[in-house]
Amino acid sequence: MTISWIQAAMLGLFACLCSNSCMAGQAVGNYTIGRPLVGGLICGLILGDLQLGIACGVAMQLVYIALVTPGGTVSADVRAISYIGIPLAMVAIASQGLNPLGGSAANLAKSVGTLVGTVGTVLYYAVATMNLVWQSFGWKDVHNGKLNKLTAVNFGWPWISHAIFSFLPTMFLTYYGATAVTALRNALPMDGVAMKTLFTVGGMLPCVGIAILLRQIIGRTTDFIPFLVGFTLAASLGLNLVSVTVVSLLFAVIMYEVEMSKGGKQGNSTVPEGPNDDDEEDI
Amino acid sequence: MENTNNSKKLDKRTLLKSFHRWFWGALTCFSQEHMQTFGYMASMLPILKKLYPNHKDQVKAIKAYTAFFNTNPMLGTVIVGITASMEQARANGKEIDGETINDMRAGLMGPIAGIGDSLIDGTLIPILLGISLGMSTGGSPLGAIFYIVAWVLIAYFGQRFLYFRGYHFGDQAVSFLVGKQGAAIRRAIGIVGSMVVGGVLASWVNVTTSLKLYGANGKVFLNLQNKLDSIYPGLLTVIVTLFCWWLMTKKHVSAIWTMLLLVVISLIGVLVGFFNPGLSY
Repeated sequence: MTISWIQAAMLGLFACLCSNSCMAGQAVGNYTIGRPLVGGLICGLILGDLQLGIACGVAMQLVYIALVTPGGTVSADVRAISYIGIPLAMVAIASQGLNPLGGSAANLAKSVGTLVGTVGTVLYYAVATMNLVWQSFGWKDVHNGKLNKLTAVNFGWPWISHAIFSFLPTMFLTYYGATAVTALRNALPMDGVAMKTLFTVGGMLPCVGIAILLRQIIGRTTDFIPFLVGFTLAASLGLNLVSVTVVSLLFAVIMYEVEMSKGGKQGNSTVPEGPNDDDEEDI
Repeated sequence: MENTNNSKKLDKRTLLKSFHRWFWGALTCFSQEHMQTFGYMASMLPILKKLYPNHKDQVKAIKAYTAFFNTNPMLGTVIVGITASMEQARANGKEIDGETINDMRAGLMGPIAGIGDSLIDGTLIPILLGISLGMSTGGSPLGAIFYIVAWVLIAYFGQRFLYFRGYHFGDQAVSFLVGKQGAAIRRAIGIVGSMVVGGVLASWVNVTTSLKLYGANGKVFLNLQNKLDSIYPGLLTVIVTLFCWWLMTKKHVSAIWTMLLLVVISLIGVLVGFFNPGLSY
């Protein structure tokens, strides 16, 4: 499998749309186009191997299933994961002749994608830094009362940051990286220590992603209990994720009632709903 | 802040325009220094233009939004809706100044960010992705398509609902998120989030050992993985995850260094025969 300039350029365009601080809006860009699962679909379509693309996307998504960016700090960059990492992983798997649906292919994808994604955080900070230039234009416009120019500051100028730090790196890295990854095949035999290590790491990397999320949601030691209960339900009892969620809702309702009844009287007793689960339209 | 002296009232078209600017542009001009400030200004622009025909007043009004702003962009939509209603009240001569608006924004962006990150990034997205991953096993595009449709619909209409809820109810829209009820909701969401994450880990991650000890007769007398499974299925997966958590939370090791440490552990594990991914062409 090779990547042509046109394919590399298309990948570059999607990289502009999806990165954190993306041009396609947070919900559609970062949270949809940027997710490795969707990236796998798009890369599969661009490179002409849908099944392999999806398989790589699924593998990569596991590492970043719970990508949180508290306070704008990132530990990985979705444009690099999804539009540099996945294409290169696809080329690597194809050149190694691995079964795209096998566990080895998935672990290889995780290693390649995570490596690229981690290195890609540089791109995130580069874009955010270059945006300071456009923001300085914006402050001048606000100062001089040229409010109409704010639209260009927010929606227009950042395209230049992305052209330099999303489009070009993605295009060059996928185009030249594909050759390098193919060359790797001869340098590193599959049964050697290097490859074995790479694949073993791939299998463990999702643990880091989950641990990052745990850092967000675990406040005290007892918070590990629901986490372990959820794990046990799936690992020992074999429940799928929707079933685990349903069971967890019961505990959530109990916890809510307990917290609300603390300290006695409380006027409002309605059971809450997650505000964002509510997709009904007002007005 | 409702229906008193409604000489100036925002129409739905203007509100939708403002909402769409937030939906598409909350973070387009992001920098570490100002974060979502410019996205906020851009989405308030249609509101200010509608409320203040005089250009001077527009320039004066936008000064309130030059302050630093950053929150969860999904749930934070409600804050933009609230400022739209506050701005309307200000334009109608109510005693609201830029400082009042900024106090509200500064007071809400922290709690909303916390709840939004755990509710959306930590709970809703992992559930949606977990379902979608199951549908995409075997290289089928179905799961990816399901995720795109489900998430974009939830995100668009959910945020739109939040925006108008903020506009109609003002800061009442989020009163349930602060105080006692807010704390109870956060605890309840935390339970769902933790259990779902545990389920995700068990369903999709599987760290195993290949360590086997052979007796003198060449037969396996210890298959460590089988032993571990009989104690607690998935034990190694939990241990590796908790180890990473411990490193990052208690030892303040960054995610990148944690990953590099895993590389070292894997290398040693492969060399001593603890790990073997079983590769072959």
